[in-house]
Amino acid sequence: MTNSALKGKGLIGGTASGSALLSLRAFTFAHGVNPATGEVTDVRSDIRGSNVRGRVLFYPFGKGSTTASTWFLETVRLGNHPAAIVTEAVDLSAVIGSVMARLIYGKAIPVISGISRGAYSKMENGADLVADADRGEVSVEG
Amino acid sequence: MYLDPSQEKLLRGEGGEASQFAMEVVTKVGDAVGAESLVPIKSAHVLAHYSSLHDAGIDVLERFASSGGKFAVPTSVDPASIDLQNWRSFGIPEEYARKQLRLCDAYAKLGGMRCWSCVQYQVCNFPKQGENVAWAESSAVVFANSVIGCRSNKITAGMDVACAVLGLTPKFGMLNDENRVARMSFKLGITAPSDLDYRSVGFFVGRNSGSRVPALQGLPPSVTSDEIKHLSAGAAAAGPVTMVHFPGITPGSRTLLDATGGQSVEEIEITRSDLAEIEADLNQTSELPDLVALGVPHLSVNELGLLAKMLEGRKLKNGVKMYAYTSSQAYDLAERTGIRSTIEASGARLTHSTDAEISPLKLLGFNVVMTNSAKLAEIVSSEGEIKIRYASQRQIVEEVTS
Repeated sequence: MTNSALKGKGLIGGTASGSALLSLRAFTFAHGVNPATGEVTDVRSDIRGSNVRGRVLFYPFGKGSTTASTWFLETVRLGNHPAAIVTEAVDLSAVIGSVMARLIYGKAIPVISGISRGAYSKMENGADLVADADRGEVSVEG
Repeated sequence: MYLDPSQEKLLRGEGGEASQFAMEVVTKVGDAVGAESLVPIKSAHVLAHYSSLHDAGIDVLERFASSGGKFAVPTSVDPASIDLQNWRSFGIPEEYARKQLRLCDAYAKLGGMRCWSCVQYQVCNFPKQGENVAWAESSAVVFANSVIGCRSNKITAGMDVACAVLGLTPKFGMLNDENRVARMSFKLGITAPSDLDYRSVGFFVGRNSGSRVPALQGLPPSVTSDEIKHLSAGAAAAGPVTMVHFPGITPGSRTLLDATGGQSVEEIEITRSDLAEIEADLNQTSELPDLVALGVPHLSVNELGLLAKMLEGRKLKNGVKMYAYTSSQAYDLAERTGIRSTIEASGARLTHSTDAEISPLKLLGFNVVMTNSAKLAEIVSSEGEIKIRYASQRQIVEEVTS
């Protein structure tokens, strides 16, 4: 369904599918996601209580501690990581966490940026998606 | 991003696994941010505390260390999650301590300086104006760019070790002149700021400058580097800010116009009511605390001396603990000058090589933490498990001692 694809820039390549989890606020794994469960715990997050595991996770930009990369990596170690991460602005903790996930745990987690909040907010939370970071796009599965 | 032939070789693995791993990280970052090239750094500052690195962070550090990695430049490290000398007496469980000690071992194997502090620029890592460095620890990055005049981005965990191993960092953000120009200005509209005011002013600046580099005018001439340290920490805790121009203090910014490159910019006055609003935001309770935490970032020996004066002849109330967090260097000085014994005679304790926001406060059973650190207040309150009281050191001492 390339006609409905959202176009951005692939930062870490690969393809993954999963259901959409959409946050419209600044997001962080650091003190914000419980690595042991994948649950979003940040009291300031609009997706608090949701689980990132296996989802295509969207947020506009990162925030907070520079340790978000290792919090993210800990979700990978425990198998509770998102399938892919899509942001509006580049979030280095997603980039670095994903590089380390491949090198240390052999897990590929595509990272795409440059897809605006305005564009992805029109999608449905829970919609089945394919994130293709080699093409830099996200599309509805089907 | 352009790589020179020697960097290409490292990426292909011809320099060994550790530098190949490091190159994978920095080239992906460089491409993501649109950096032109990698540039040499004079020092690095990395993170190796268990509370945020978790077991995954142990895997990362041990991978670098076991594959032959060595820091290519002088490298310092942020505080650990435990007092590395006295952790048992603070009630840290053995199993937790063992995790932290694995990180310590890997860090030592990589050849890092063992001065576990978030104020490395006060104890062991001394860049000069104009140098490029790659530092993690957001409060130190603000201080470095704003007071020392060296150049650092806020380096993310994992990338910090990669930069340290290579002695290189992607050239982007604060390493480029055009990104260091002040685009807005704050003016301090209060006189005689207290310890709490400096932290709240920083927090206000961080919250209201967004991605723009701000200037801050109107600091009194009496302002100390310790006060700017806490202001920097407050700013970095509240937003993405990595530099604040202080006209007359920041190298190259004698005046506001120097800071803005001659442009006129939006100016916001910081009033007493703005600071009261920050205090109200960070305060979550009026209960008596079970822990008073002073020193996020680490207190200097001068600050420990001021605390000792305040505590002299007083005793902590029952049920309240007070920890003053510092570097091991300042701890030793406090020991030799009698400052430590004065502080501890009150029932308070000095602790070094760790800091409150990265120690397992919940695991240790604390429920209400009182502090004058806006950074600690912000981090702890976002987790929603421990309640915060935010007050000046004088107010804290008056309330929890008799």
